[in-house]
Amino acid sequence: MNETCLKIRADILSIAHASGRGHIPTCFSIVESLYAVYSTMNHRPTEPQWPGRDLFVLSKGHAALGYYCNLAAFGYFPAEQVRAFGDADSLFGCHGDRFKVPGVEASTGSLGHGVGIAVGMALAGQIQRSGRRVITLVGDGEANEGTVWEAVLVAVDQKLSRFTLLYDHNNSQRRCLQIPNPGERFRAFGCEVTEVDGHDLAQLTDALQRTTDRPHVIVANTIKGFGCQTLCDDVFAWHRRSPDAATLARLMEELHAG
Amino acid sequence: MRGKFRQVVTELAEQDERIVVILGDVSVYQFNQFSQRWPERFYNMGILEPTLVSVSAGLAALGLRPFVHTIAPFLTERCYEQIKLDLCYNRFGSNLVTCGASFDYAADGPTHHTYTDLAILRLLPHMEVMQPGSERELAALLRSQYANGNPSYFRLSDFPHDRDTGEVRFGQGAVLKRGSRDLTLLTAGPILDNVATAVEDLDVNLLYFHTLKPIDHALIAQFAHTRMLVIHDAFGLQEAVNEVAGLRIWHHGLTDRFCDGYGSVESIRQRLGLDVAGIRARVLGLLQQKETLP
Repeated sequence: MNETCLKIRADILSIAHASGRGHIPTCFSIVESLYAVYSTMNHRPTEPQWPGRDLFVLSKGHAALGYYCNLAAFGYFPAEQVRAFGDADSLFGCHGDRFKVPGVEASTGSLGHGVGIAVGMALAGQIQRSGRRVITLVGDGEANEGTVWEAVLVAVDQKLSRFTLLYDHNNSQRRCLQIPNPGERFRAFGCEVTEVDGHDLAQLTDALQRTTDRPHVIVANTIKGFGCQTLCDDVFAWHRRSPDAATLARLMEELHAG
Repeated sequence: MRGKFRQVVTELAEQDERIVVILGDVSVYQFNQFSQRWPERFYNMGILEPTLVSVSAGLAALGLRPFVHTIAPFLTERCYEQIKLDLCYNRFGSNLVTCGASFDYAADGPTHHTYTDLAILRLLPHMEVMQPGSERELAALLRSQYANGNPSYFRLSDFPHDRDTGEVRFGQGAVLKRGSRDLTLLTAGPILDNVATAVEDLDVNLLYFHTLKPIDHALIAQFAHTRMLVIHDAFGLQEAVNEVAGLRIWHHGLTDRFCDGYGSVESIRQRLGLDVAGIRARVLGLLQQKETLP
């Protein structure tokens, strides 16, 4: 595992333990995706409002803790600040607030919203001929929401070639409404589709650097809880659970054992 | 009123290249010239109202000034969470402009009637809620509010009044009639025509509002010593007026049931007691009553 991705996962675990909050498995599934996005897009961590930046919107807003730890890893703020995660006066809520967290472009949380906002941002980029890229990360559970597909229809119809939808295919809906073969579905909607191993940074990076003439969907096949077998073995029990001290030690051991 | 909307937005677009029009396949004919002149600023985007709102949020995030236009119930009731979160919570200043106010689509039945929009949008922080009753009011409010960064709701009607309600300023109500009896009528939007006609020769006060959020507290407070009767063909005004404490207030308007009749706007108003005769009868009834609490 990449050193930074390992540290991001360790930060997620320790902050989830310290705060008593967190969606650990869903955060773990997108660590490499977020790292690859921030490694390839134009941005300035010390100048979050830099006008020339590309934009990222976390549509599956409940993975905020993973997002914060990724932003910290890229230098937006010290990871130590995130330890107040979910506290009454913390800047770091369980869903990101764009007025509080440097680097957060849109406040999200209710599923199926961020993707539409991101399509609007990409359309704005096209109108303004800014050339900026807009990337949104959508969960496969979130794709139960009809607005995800509405937004994709608009992105295709408006030929938003600078729009990328990163689809976290972590099988979160195995007990509910599943969407088999998401790549085929996005292709049928008119998107360019690339399927990757969502824990392989090289594959993710290559996909994110592809130039397409239409909206690009990257289906990242991922594992909820990737990095800790205990999490993978019971993702539903761990959906919102925070580890106690003994469990934290075991999870850290699993994580560092690879 | 849609023609006036198009006219004002076109005038504004000539000066302000940030303006973008998004339609939900409604009033498209109005914007033929606009779309030919500014194809990159006009999108008849489709019949997917929640996404129209979210997309407008994304446009506003990058400094554009979107106008989203389609039929009222579909852009408000259907999209309540998109308006709440994508526009209000995120403070992305989009302009929502609807047609089909109250019972404008009378014959289409309850699926197309819209009377909760004003009331529910008033509940959202940062939201500006306007019900212009005339084209003149609409033009003034569009110009003053479209670019201020707040999400704004403009409720258009195909049946506006044509009365002079004085200087139009956002957030300010107007005194259209002063009387000496212990009764003040409060109304908003196109129904003013029926109200004003019904009480033309009656000795009452008449207050009029085109802005329901923020409501003009100061104006209401000036008349708080009198009994008050809110007359409205939607929910929202009564709740707004009640923000002023201690009023002795009655309501003449809608009840807790669907209006399942068809016909015309005026026939539905008659059915609801919101025609001239119905309003006059209610006002006369109150004038004949001794001062009592509702």
